[in-house]
Amino acid sequence: MSEHDHKPAPMVDEVSDFEILEMAVRELAIEKGLFSAEDHRIWTEYVHTLGPLPASRLVAKAWLDPKYKKLAVTDGVEASKAVGVDWVNSPPTKFGTPSDYCNLRVLEDTPTLKHVVVCTLCSCYPRPILGQSPEWYRTPNYRRRLVRWPRQVLAEFGLQLPPEVQIRVADSNQKTRYMVMPVRPEGTEGWTEDQLAEIVTRDCLIGVAVPKPGVTSNAKRPVHKAIHPVHHHDHGS
Amino acid sequence: MSQKNQHDRNHHASIATSIGDPQCFKGKGGTPKFKEGDSVRIKDLPDLFYSRCQVYTRGAVGRVTKLVYESPAAEDESWDNTDKPEWFYSVVFKQKDLWPEYGDLYANDTLETEFSERWLEKP
Repeated sequence: MSEHDHKPAPMVDEVSDFEILEMAVRELAIEKGLFSAEDHRIWTEYVHTLGPLPASRLVAKAWLDPKYKKLAVTDGVEASKAVGVDWVNSPPTKFGTPSDYCNLRVLEDTPTLKHVVVCTLCSCYPRPILGQSPEWYRTPNYRRRLVRWPRQVLAEFGLQLPPEVQIRVADSNQKTRYMVMPVRPEGTEGWTEDQLAEIVTRDCLIGVAVPKPGVTSNAKRPVHKAIHPVHHHDHGS
Repeated sequence: MSQKNQHDRNHHASIATSIGDPQCFKGKGGTPKFKEGDSVRIKDLPDLFYSRCQVYTRGAVGRVTKLVYESPAAEDESWDNTDKPEWFYSVVFKQKDLWPEYGDLYANDTLETEFSERWLEKP
């Protein structure tokens, strides 16, 4: 191979128009003085500290404590406090961000009702309690297809449900943010809150997977290469 | 005539800080027109500039599951018009009522999403 002197491969196949737009708007806002580069850095670092652990904990607590479960399904924002998430006061802005409105709804699955969450408009996601959404959650492919062909999409995630189980898609297109409280699986009798929280993965909280004893990570997603990737260098072949 | 020559960008922050949004609009939506369990049809209103009412729901009939909060409608709030909050409703639809080709085998499947009051009418 005589390719060692080539430029390194690009980090990503494609930079979307929206990413370029975000950078342009951000730089203009900084120049205009709406916020500083430092403000932006603090906010970005803050959101990257968030993850799905509080939501896993919320579900585990609810499985063990029927009173807490009732609170979780009636007032998600209040129930979040018990797992260290204050929707109103924690984020730097102290009123949520425009895309993290302070209205969490916990959707309770039953043996005959399975919830799954999508935002068809863009990417609404309960970030204060779940962290950043996975890349696939934001793709037009998932958003467009889940509302119309939920069973097919869930099957692609390895989740096949019988017709007796009603699938309910929750499309978060206004100010409510949703998370799913799955059914506690068999084989977890006598487990502690820590043990239970471990099997409530991010995918279970979005609703594309169900918790299973022994499974503590999200399934690997298939990688779909860009159809028209960016060629930054002509190999001249 | 006095006229502000600059838009008040801090208006939202000043009403929502430490209270939360949509909490800051609580009690400002008036008397709700619909209640839990009501059948509603989604209107097909023009949405020239901005809307969060998905086209796939227009004209469909669903059932109100919950009155969720009060807030300015997205069509107003996108222009920072926050003086007319209205009630928001969570509505559940049969998937078969949204997508004509949805399989009969899965006739129980449903979809739930939210609407501001202006989008709803009695079927």
